[in-house]
Amino acid sequence: MRYIFNFPDIGEGLDEGTIIEWYVSKGQEIKSGQAVVRMETDKVVAEIPSPKSGTVISIFGKVGETIHVGTPLIEIEIEGVYGEEAVAQAKAPVSMQPLEEGSTAVVGTMELAASSAFLPASEEGVATSKTDKQTTHKVLATPVARAMAKELQLDINKITGTGPGGRVTKSDIQNFQLQNVPAETLEIQPLAAEGEEITYEPLSQIRKTIAKNMINSKLSAAHMTVFEEVEISDLIWLREKYKKVFSDKNVKLTYLPFILKATVNALKQHRQLNSQMDLENNRMMYKNYYNIGIAVDTTEGLVVPVIKDADKLTIFQIAQKIAELAEKAKERKLTLAEIRDGTFTLTNYGSIGGIFGVPVINYPQAGILGIGRILKIPVVKDDQIIAGNVLPLSLTVDHRIVDGGEATRFLLQIMEYLKDPFSLMME
Amino acid sequence: MEYDLIIIGAGPAGYVAAIRAGQLGLKTAVVEKEYVGGMCLNWGCIPSKALLESAKIFDRTKQYAQFGIDGIDLQKLSFNWGQAKSRSTGITKRLTAGINYLFKKNGVELITGSAKLLSENFVLAGDKKISTANIIIATGSKPKAMDIQLEGAPVMEMEKLFTLETVPDNIVVTGNHVPAVEIAQFFKLIGKNVTLVANSNSFLMGLDDFLISYIIKKFKSEKIELLLNAFPEKFKNGELLVGDKKIKCELLVNCNSRKAVIPESEVPLELTERGFLKTTDDFETILKGVYAIGDVSGKSFVAHVASAQGIHVVNTIKGIKAKFNNRAYPVNMYTSPEIAQIGMTEKQLKEEGIEIKISEFPLSANGKAMIEGNTEGLVRLLSDKKYGQVLGAQIVAANATDMIAEAGAYIAIEGTVYDVAQTIHAHPTVSEIFMEAGFDAVDRAINK
Repeated sequence: MRYIFNFPDIGEGLDEGTIIEWYVSKGQEIKSGQAVVRMETDKVVAEIPSPKSGTVISIFGKVGETIHVGTPLIEIEIEGVYGEEAVAQAKAPVSMQPLEEGSTAVVGTMELAASSAFLPASEEGVATSKTDKQTTHKVLATPVARAMAKELQLDINKITGTGPGGRVTKSDIQNFQLQNVPAETLEIQPLAAEGEEITYEPLSQIRKTIAKNMINSKLSAAHMTVFEEVEISDLIWLREKYKKVFSDKNVKLTYLPFILKATVNALKQHRQLNSQMDLENNRMMYKNYYNIGIAVDTTEGLVVPVIKDADKLTIFQIAQKIAELAEKAKERKLTLAEIRDGTFTLTNYGSIGGIFGVPVINYPQAGILGIGRILKIPVVKDDQIIAGNVLPLSLTVDHRIVDGGEATRFLLQIMEYLKDPFSLMME
Repeated sequence: MEYDLIIIGAGPAGYVAAIRAGQLGLKTAVVEKEYVGGMCLNWGCIPSKALLESAKIFDRTKQYAQFGIDGIDLQKLSFNWGQAKSRSTGITKRLTAGINYLFKKNGVELITGSAKLLSENFVLAGDKKISTANIIIATGSKPKAMDIQLEGAPVMEMEKLFTLETVPDNIVVTGNHVPAVEIAQFFKLIGKNVTLVANSNSFLMGLDDFLISYIIKKFKSEKIELLLNAFPEKFKNGELLVGDKKIKCELLVNCNSRKAVIPESEVPLELTERGFLKTTDDFETILKGVYAIGDVSGKSFVAHVASAQGIHVVNTIKGIKAKFNNRAYPVNMYTSPEIAQIGMTEKQLKEEGIEIKISEFPLSANGKAMIEGNTEGLVRLLSDKKYGQVLGAQIVAANATDMIAEAGAYIAIEGTVYDVAQTIHAHPTVSEIFMEAGFDAVDRAINK
């Protein structure tokens, strides 16, 4: 039987991607999980794995072409799956990765588009494969749906079918109409003429995703924020001392690697902050790995690459990794793996000049640490007023998971490490 | 949990759900008090249609001379109620044995006894307490009891009809729906005096007005007295008092509107205003993992929908999600000629503001119908004006209940009248009337 693998929602809320490279060719046997194509979206570069094993019969789209989520990528002939079993398989949700990997940088898990279409080996399908014409591929659609699409001048091949076997039905056409009409109106709206009070612009994919995730976080987690200031003259001294050593090796040493290291060390002693609540199964998920997301401000919008297993990295390696990921984020070259599965997030608005903030949790993580600009202000030391170097910190936690006392203890621990940076290396 | 699924009731909702569950590998048991196969197999669908078939043949035999068959003495022709009953019972036995076989084959356990719901996860089956992850209630329905003032009347429910030794001459049927019409016509076909008292203002609700008026006319021509919106008041001296009418009544068949048979339960179950189990679109009751399908949920009262609901619920339990489409199922009447309907009625379409085209083709112009001597009837297609989508179909024909499946397929695949017209139908067949009605909708019928 045949299986059409549609371009899945790769979890960034983006509904289109550009084909960079095909890894498979027609007639090739592939295994489930094998990478099929390399796609670039607004945010990431992702390798899309096949959910099924079989023989590739057709490939849709050329390198450089833009493909919408839910439209076909490849058609696979799967042997030994017929009839009811096929239908059951088609209907069963296909998860492409374990659920624990839920906490990606900006959105959730990667799922197959609901439209995965199984075709019985019908004459229609056979004809397509024998003539080897990819362009003549004909979607399954009901007669009324075809008549409607024709009248409304819609390309029925671009519409995702929800009927039996992925058939495009009347309601699919109606839904497609509903979803697309407003967008088109927006596109043809001229930009504001001089003197108009409001300029309308359509939302970008990345903006829509950010909006969705922010609201989801605010609605799902109980946000609570604590503020602290820490005197870090010793850290400044240490950083100055090693700046040169690092730059000789072509790595810029900022304060962030130290803060990240301090955070990871503190997370190890406060596991609530490195956890996730699994309400569905009435349990907590404490993570024994430390993947720290770093919010990066790009021209398109916020992206959060993740430093994996940060507890196993040295300050030098962390500095190197931060530079590499920030660069990739700005050039939109991050891969899915690089933005997925963070366990805690740092947001450094200090680099732009901010002092305090109330960061929004990168849900479903349990906390996010906001880092402000280092302030040169008077502090009291040994009853003397001296010029101090003060780093403002804002920690937001999910109050469902982390109590106030624990949040404060966690933050104080980070401060201890930053006050006495040598202690960071002692563990 | 001892079981993945316990099903209470082995009617067409419950037994189909059980077999499906067995096929999907769920550890399943069915608890049935008395009748495997439920009303459908024991006194509903199958046996009543078997009796109707006997009656139809009895009636048709009177026309045999026209077909060139001599030797039938109409004076001697009589209906053998005992033989008709035992033929019907034989069919029931074969089919219930079939269900028992399918239960075994699919690993479904049958527990004979009554069931009581103890909680979302416990059922008392007979005197055994069993635990289960899911429960399906498929306990069916019963006709509403006759009013108390009719005490002394010779009331009989369909369930007990098969215990009747002889059939008296003067019969009154009460009821408003398909079974009442069928049984009234059955008694008429075997030569009895029949009155149908439709004791509500919703005679044949859900059927297209066109078909209702056809049936009213048909009853008139067959001399079956039909009293609409009438209520029997009293039974006295062998007569039933309905309004100002006194009707001779030796048998009063109760085909009243149905009410749910709610199983005993220690946990409260929520009911609808009409007294059926309240369920979600996926047939889940207010209790998690407890479902209700078939008549007891009050969403439909036909076996084929009950079975479809059963399959839907088992799929849902197994995680196979789909939306249950309630609209396109056939409503069949095994009258003579048969009557069948699928999809939306003219009235429903008008209420939804859909502009429609009605195309018809009569059997009187169909060759095969003439050959068979069954020229009474027609097909009626209701299609939307814009795209020609077939939205409803009605058939009156000797085999309408089989023919309606074709219309069902058009509706299921959102077919249009163009598809109907372009589908080549063999000649001569009664089904050609579909193609003709299709032509009629697109332009004009060839043979009309």
